[in-house]
Amino acid sequence: MNISKIANLQYFYKHTKNVSKILSFITFSLFIVGIFWGLYIAPKDYLQGDSYRIIYLHVPAAWLSLQVYIVMAVTGFIALVWKIKIMEIISIQSASIGAYFTLIALVTGMIWGKPTWGTYWVWDARLTSELILLFLYIGVIVIYSSFADKRQGAKIAALLAIVGLINIPIIHYSVEWWNTLHQGPTVTKFEKPSAHITMLIPLLYMLLVFNLYFLTVLIKRVRLGIFQREKNTKWMESYLND
Amino acid sequence: MNSIIFKREIYTYFRNMNYIFLPLIFFFLVISIFPLVIGPDKSLIAKIIPGIIWITIIFTTLISTSNFFKDDYNNGVIEMYLTSEKSIEFILFLKIIICWFFAIFPIIIFIPIVSIMFNISLHTLTIIFLTLLLGTPVLVSIGIFGSALTTGISMNNILGPIIIVPFYIPVLIFSASAIESVSNGLPYDLQIYVLLSILLLILPTMPYLLKYTLRISINN
Repeated sequence: MNISKIANLQYFYKHTKNVSKILSFITFSLFIVGIFWGLYIAPKDYLQGDSYRIIYLHVPAAWLSLQVYIVMAVTGFIALVWKIKIMEIISIQSASIGAYFTLIALVTGMIWGKPTWGTYWVWDARLTSELILLFLYIGVIVIYSSFADKRQGAKIAALLAIVGLINIPIIHYSVEWWNTLHQGPTVTKFEKPSAHITMLIPLLYMLLVFNLYFLTVLIKRVRLGIFQREKNTKWMESYLND
Repeated sequence: MNSIIFKREIYTYFRNMNYIFLPLIFFFLVISIFPLVIGPDKSLIAKIIPGIIWITIIFTTLISTSNFFKDDYNNGVIEMYLTSEKSIEFILFLKIIICWFFAIFPIIIFIPIVSIMFNISLHTLTIIFLTLLLGTPVLVSIGIFGSALTTGISMNNILGPIIIVPFYIPVLIFSASAIESVSNGLPYDLQIYVLLSILLLILPTMPYLLKYTLRISINN
């Protein structure tokens, strides 16, 4: 496969229609299997009972929320340095997907926290940094949407994403440091027991499914982004009329 | 050439004294509102006053750095700077320092008045002073970065702060914790060193980042 061909918007748009359909089908069926595996087959936790099962959504979402940020910043960097149009679109479309993953991670974490910790929210280091991550995502999305010139907006958003990527470890460690200073013992009390292999395998499986889901949605959204940007060009008109 | 630019930047502040007085007045106004909301309980106020000072400083910084490049952008001065053969990094560095000196430094000088109003001990006051001296240049330069990002947008009054506040968190955490450690009689040198290292990291790199950002923002 030729990289420069895929980077071409026209080529990408014309050749990913079937790919995205097949991928959605695969992702959906694998997801059903994973949900059944996690919520029904996997054994009960001796301490938390059934309430722990939400980790099959929570952990992959939290993992993806960070991974997507890295994807967004790296593709943004490529877009800024080599001025590849499709990378701009990938970067900016990843932002909203990542924000959804962060939101899912936060909400499922809160739902899990109620029976386990007794409250929906504690100012724990991980929760706080996840919340800040959501704000970083929102910043990228908001600044992109307020530019009338979408190419310029994508560049500025990519720059913000790169600066944010440099800042994420700094913010994370300072929040962790702040947290241990304020409420040290309470954190270790809630530490998760190490997972058994029969629980771990469905979790890793769900991680794979979430990655596939990200890829599927990304392709769909990039196609949408290409359509919005190129809707007035000749090739798009002739392609749609066929 | 550099001295002319230096004079120009300083004159813009001196010709309109509002640049200097408004942040100061805003700071004291907001800080006097807090006791009205929390209640006149002295011990509670003494406990949270470092946080209040820092939150108020953040608001003041955000307001005084929003639309930082607006006038220069509308005049075409930024384009002149970008196309001139002089190093724009140095000019941007000067702009950061001058903005900090005129908008934020007066507040730091008047902090002892706050300490009288809220019964802060002299030892704690010195540390508040120190953290403000080390932290506010970082806040100002990050705020200016936010306004550089939003220069090309017409409605950007609240956009800059939304983007920028997450980046303030490390400075905020370490300064607040230094002040808290002092009032509890704990060592605080780690926090001060971290603040110093953030300052020494941000100040030299920010002009380059600003130059790059402005290039993208203005290119339309």
